[in-house]
Amino acid sequence: MAKVLMKGNEAIALAAIKGGVDAFYGYPITPQNEVPEYLSKHLLDAGKVFLQAESEVSAINMVYGAAGAGKRVMTSSSSPGIALKQEGISYIAGAELPCLIVSVMRGGPGLGSIQPSQGDYYQATRGGGNGDYHLIVFAPESIQETIDVIKESFDIADYYRNPVMVLVDGLIGQMMESVDFDRPVKERFLPEKDWATTGTKNHPGRRNVANSLYLDPQALEQHNIHLNEKYKLIKKNETRFELINFDNPEYIIVAYGTMARIARSAIEMLKKEGIEVSMIRPISLFPYPEIAFDKIPENVKGILTCELSMGQMLDDVLIANNGRHKVGFFGRAGGMLPDPEEIVDAIKNFNERVVK
Amino acid sequence: MKNITFLTGYYGSGKSELAINLAIKERVDYVVDLDIMNPYFRTREQEEFLKTYEIETISSDLDYKAHIDMPYISKRVFIPFHDESKRAIYDLGGNDSGAKLLRQFEDYNDVDIDLYIVINVYRQESDNSEKIIELIDKIEGVGGFKVTGLINNSNLLRETTLEDILYGETIIKEVSNKTKLPIVYTAVWENIYADNLVFQGEVLKLKLYFRKNWL
Repeated sequence: MAKVLMKGNEAIALAAIKGGVDAFYGYPITPQNEVPEYLSKHLLDAGKVFLQAESEVSAINMVYGAAGAGKRVMTSSSSPGIALKQEGISYIAGAELPCLIVSVMRGGPGLGSIQPSQGDYYQATRGGGNGDYHLIVFAPESIQETIDVIKESFDIADYYRNPVMVLVDGLIGQMMESVDFDRPVKERFLPEKDWATTGTKNHPGRRNVANSLYLDPQALEQHNIHLNEKYKLIKKNETRFELINFDNPEYIIVAYGTMARIARSAIEMLKKEGIEVSMIRPISLFPYPEIAFDKIPENVKGILTCELSMGQMLDDVLIANNGRHKVGFFGRAGGMLPDPEEIVDAIKNFNERVVK
Repeated sequence: MKNITFLTGYYGSGKSELAINLAIKERVDYVVDLDIMNPYFRTREQEEFLKTYEIETISSDLDYKAHIDMPYISKRVFIPFHDESKRAIYDLGGNDSGAKLLRQFEDYNDVDIDLYIVINVYRQESDNSEKIIELIDKIEGVGGFKVTGLINNSNLLRETTLEDILYGETIIKEVSNKTKLPIVYTAVWENIYADNLVFQGEVLKLKLYFRKNWL
């Protein structure tokens, strides 16, 4: 397959097919509707399952069931729809089942708007569901990167028996880019799914159960400890970030997704004015690339966190920075996208932006 | 281009960018946005910009019309049909689903209109002549109007080369030969445009109005 021109949402859908998705369960919501639209045609053509459920709650529980049966399953939604799915997501994480959840963020809170936003950073990284759990969260900045990460996400989910969330904003879902679907995916050793609820033929006398209920507190604590060990391993193996223009910077910008695209332009503009600014671009939001902050030179004047939200990733920047440098914040919200000039201005007036 | 010209095509073929570019080039009076499918990148977003060229945008009458995805359009979409001195470009939503909105103009089928289909062969659903002809059939069947011309808008955005456009032309020529429809325009991005370019139909220098410079 040569290069093609694709809309982000279509690319998410085709990448999931290339990644081997067996079943999609979802419910429509703007601005991600092209994902189910594309899959409704092409997944059925491939003899796989596409099902539009009667609600988001149903859809995520269908994902739970099909993932429990050992299939490669996904759902996709946008902000309020992902909110509805949180209970099921917590159950899936608790039962250690692999799946892919695509979240195409729009303005919030509540119904908010249909314009792009990054207001669901907390929802993705802190979880709206209950209990001590984490999703593996990737936040690509381009359609190509979205394709690459989605193709790999089923392997990652299977490897760790953990849900993977791919978090983009509505702009990435709706815009178009020329892309290549044939880029290689990292090979991983994936063990047999001997935990899948597919009957007792291969293990007579032992019944597999997909479950997140542990009535014995000692057993549940052991389960929590086990999950925590797994998250540590994920942190060690799956932390991803990009360092941009990391050569003797005066300031550091931290931004992900669409905001990183805007910041790239701002960095070029600042360079022309003789102000060197670098960027840490987190690609994995959980695990957060704290180690990238160790690479920041001691003499930088400050770190500017840029978000399409009111200061959510800022928390992780403050944790990762650990008091070493001044941290400032620049954000737009509600579906408003800044021009690069606004970031240029925020860097030039960094002192007015300092939070801590 | 007739006084009333509709643009149709596969979803994501570049209809709205072409509509804006053609509207400015041809100095039409109206751009009519009939896209009830896309939530972003609709011609109505360019309403203020088009005003600077004295082009009026007709779309929805609802508040916040650029930021809602309601299947609603203004009754004012009929205005250009009632004034022979006015020229209008109608920008339809993608595919045969978008072409459904042509049906409301059935009563005006005595008006001589153009219906151009915008084609980008780098879109998966229109990457060969069979698929394109199937789409033309569907659009004509659903919309009730005959397609009158083909527009080659084959591109890979910033990565487009003249060879890419030429490859698009070879496929669209096949469509033209089979359907007897002319290629009326070939769109070329301004960054690779030159005055001496020769393609089928008129060469249209394309400026991108929707795409932010940081994308």
